[in-house]
Parts: sequence; structure tokens; C-alpha cells
Amino acid sequence: MRRNLLVYAGAIIFTLYFLVPLYILILIAFSPAKFTLESLYPPLYFKGFTLNNLVYAFTQYDFVHPFLKSFFVASLVGVIAILLGIPAGYGLSKLPGKIAYAFIVVLLITNMVPGLVVAIPISVEFIKLHLFDSIPGLALVQELVTLPLAVFILQGTFSAVPKEVEYQAKIDGASTLSYLTNVLIPIALPGIVAAFLISWMFSWDEFTYAVLLSPIHPTLPVEIYFNIQRGNELAAVAFSLVFTIPVIVLTVILQKYLKGEYLAGGVKY
Amino acid sequence: MKLRYIFFVLPSLVYVLAFAFYPSARAVYLSFFTSQGKFTLDNYKELFYFNLYGTIENTVILTVGALMIQLLLALGISSILVREFKGKRLVSTISIIPMGVATVVAAITFAFIFQTSGGYANTFLHYLGLSGINWYFNSYISLFIVMIADSWKNTPIMTLIILAGMYSIPRDLYYAAALDGAGPLRRFVHITLPNLKKFIAIALIIRGVSEFNIFALPLILIGYSPSILTTLAYSLYSTTTENLASAAAVIILIFVSVLIALNIKLGGKR
Repeated sequence: MRRNLLVYAGAIIFTLYFLVPLYILILIAFSPAKFTLESLYPPLYFKGFTLNNLVYAFTQYDFVHPFLKSFFVASLVGVIAILLGIPAGYGLSKLPGKIAYAFIVVLLITNMVPGLVVAIPISVEFIKLHLFDSIPGLALVQELVTLPLAVFILQGTFSAVPKEVEYQAKIDGASTLSYLTNVLIPIALPGIVAAFLISWMFSWDEFTYAVLLSPIHPTLPVEIYFNIQRGNELAAVAFSLVFTIPVIVLTVILQKYLKGEYLAGGVKY
Repeated sequence: MKLRYIFFVLPSLVYVLAFAFYPSARAVYLSFFTSQGKFTLDNYKELFYFNLYGTIENTVILTVGALMIQLLLALGISSILVREFKGKRLVSTISIIPMGVATVVAAITFAFIFQTSGGYANTFLHYLGLSGINWYFNSYISLFIVMIADSWKNTPIMTLIILAGMYSIPRDLYYAAALDGAGPLRRFVHITLPNLKKFIAIALIIRGVSEFNIFALPLILIGYSPSILTTLAYSLYSTTTENLASAAAVIILIFVSVLIALNIKLGGKR
């Protein structure tokens, strides 16, 4: 009994730790500024409630363009992750362990290459190629963050499909391509959707590449940062709130795909 | 025969090589030239005018501090989540939420919490009858703020890795130890920690690389003072030449390469 009490006490403390910052964000977004930004000791509870902050932010500042840019970049990142990730995940699930491991190491390394190291020379190249500040340009670079993750997820999903399914399809005369499109992809659809959405999510949130490679028509995170720099704090808070809600929903839905193994880059190998 | 499956992997491989290795090589190349294209070591010399040593020191302090905080939190949360109790699903869902909150948003929220005047942390201290703290009084406190904000955002990743490790420990070990009269603390020290060693090492290296690359949080929370390697590289990029910024980027690359090499070495042993 005493043990359980300890577990609950711990659970409550950690829950508070994770929720308080979000509560503060909501508090600032929906309270009149005199109780938040303009007060020396802002109260920790709602003293007043207003929607004016949000209305003001969305009517006075450009939200639509950064939002659309983020949306299109993230969607393109998700599509590329699937297009490259499905064959890679399939190949890795079929290759002998040692060779697959070598590929995984390369993917892992690229996942660790510092964003700034990549972005500075690429920005020079992109200006020449007219990809600077463009949607495809940014998506191509952000893919670097998400592709390894997508490949790990897809490889895990494909490995879970029983070998017999593929043998059966081959016996029935299916080519590798038709096995992939008619059998494997439909079976593995939940994993594929998860890989798409996780790629989407990571791109939606990406900042380093976005601020270096797309500063003129910024994505939403960069726009929020610029608003903070210009002192438009309430706009930054309002945008942050709208920006965060879909991603939190996605995180919760995709929880079972956000496994330690993938994030650790295949600890299981 | 099985090797033909390499062709399925090639597109991804070519892609990441083109977008990771080529720019990295290019950054090294750029760092040795002036913007007129003449070979020089001046870019590196010039970095020392920008307090390179201090910047490296700040980056290391930040990385080590953030890792320690995250590891402690992750061990605590995992120890709770590995048990069965009412409301476990809810707690585990909540504990993953910060992962979905964008870094920029986390940074802004913590900036509001740790404002020196009008900050929520100081309100809290005020309620307790204490006086407020100037959270930007010196570089150590500033770095500590970044560590806290970063730990909030990134502890979930660490937790997922540690929790995967905890689930891999057979429960029988704990029952046996409990029968032998080992208390919770002794069980943690003698069973949990030794069995988690590999997972902790991997989590620390993977998170360590990300901590070394940490950028948006310090940029928004503390700006360029104290500067760390990434904010230094960014400020050089936006105010001087690509070549000088590349030199700073190469310094980051050197540190991260060492961490990556460590990771591969450890990975080979798993």
C-alpha cells in the first residue's frame, strides 16, 4: 500500500511537470494582457478570460502564409519519406543482418549530422539552384531528419509480416513489384501511415533548416520566432497554441510507433 | 541472391549521402578559403576572437547538464511507468506530450516562465514568500534555464529508450531479490542500473549528439549570451561570411563526429 502511494505521488509530480508549461501557454493565450505580460507577478490562475488575444493576433499578423508553407513542406517531406522509405524498409528487412546493419549505421550517422553544418553550405548551393526559400528546397533538406526514422519504422513494420505471405504470393506468380503493391503495402498500411505522419510531424516542427534556408517566406516555427524577436509576444503565443494542438493530437495517436527502439536507432540490432 | 535487395536501399542511401556527406565535406572545404577563393587558415584564427574556448565550454556544460537532468527524470518516470497502476495509460500519454510540442513553442513558454520581471517562476517564489531571481544574472543560471526547458521537451525521448530497457529486464530478478530481502533502493542499484547500462549509454550518446546541436531553445531563451557553438555559427552566418560560419560549423562537426564514432563503437558491441 505504501509502495503504491509512492508510485502515485511520483506519477502526479511528473504529470504536473509535463502539464504546467502547457497550462502557462494557455493561461497567457486566453487571459487579458494586464494579468499576464504586463504584470510584475502574473497570477498563476485565470483572473479573466478573453478571446481578444487570438482575434487580434490572427487579424493583425500573417498566419495563413506561414501555416500553408509549413503544411506543404511537411506534406512533401512525408511523401518523399514514403517513396524512398518503402523500398528501403523492404530491402533492409530482406538483407542479411550484417549488410542491413551497415546501412542502418549510415542512416544513423546522417541523422546526427549537425543541421547547421548541412545548412550553411547548402544555402550557398540553393541560391545558385533557385531552391533557396522554396518549398521543395526546404522539404529536400528536412527529409534528412525524417527519412532515417521513416525507414526504421517501415523496416520494423515489414519485418513483422510473416515470410509465408511473400512465399505464397511468389508461388502464385507475383513479381516483386506486384507483391509490394498488391500484398505488402496493403498489409503494412498502418505502419506506412505512421511513417508518413511522423515525418510530417518532425518537419512541421523543424526550425534549424527552416530559419537558414527559408527566412524570407518562413514556415510557422520561424514566423513565431520572428514575432518574438519583433516583440509581438501575444501573436507568438496565439500562433504557438494553434501550431501545437494538431501535433499533440498526432503524438498521442502515434504513441505506439514512437518507440524507444526507433529513436535509439535500432537498439535491438 | 539476397544482395539484390541492396537496390531497394540505394535510393535512400544516395539521398542521404548527397544531403549529409556532401554538404559536410563542402563545409570543411569552405572553412579553409576566403570568400575570394584563396586558401587560408584565418577563418579558424578569427574564431578565437569570438571567444571560441568559452563557447565550447558553454556547449559542454549545457550538454552534460541537460543530459544529467534528462537521465534522472527519465529514470524516475520509467520506474513508475514500468509498474502496473490505475491511470498508467493516462500518465504515459501525458509524459509523451512534450515531444509533440514544437521546440520553438517550448522555448517561448519557458521564456515567459523565467522572465526576470513578470515571470511565472518568480510569481511562484513570491507566493512562497521568497524574492524573485534574476534568471539571466550570469551565464551559469542562463544555461541552467536552457537545460530545464530542453529537459522538458526532450525527456520523453530519453524515457522511451530507458523504458524499453526496463521492460527488457526479467521481472523474476526483482521477485527473487525481494524474497532475499532487498529493498526498492537496493533493487534499483543492483538490478535495474546494471541491466540498463547499455540502454543508458545509447540514450546518452544519441541525446548527447542532439544536445550538442541544440539551437532553437538557446537562441530564443538566451540569444547570443552566453553563446554556444550553434548560436555562434548562426550569428556568424547572418553577420559575416559563409566561410567563417563554416569554420564554426566544422568545430561542431568535429565534436559530433567523436560522439558518432563512440556510438558506432558501442553499437558494434550490442
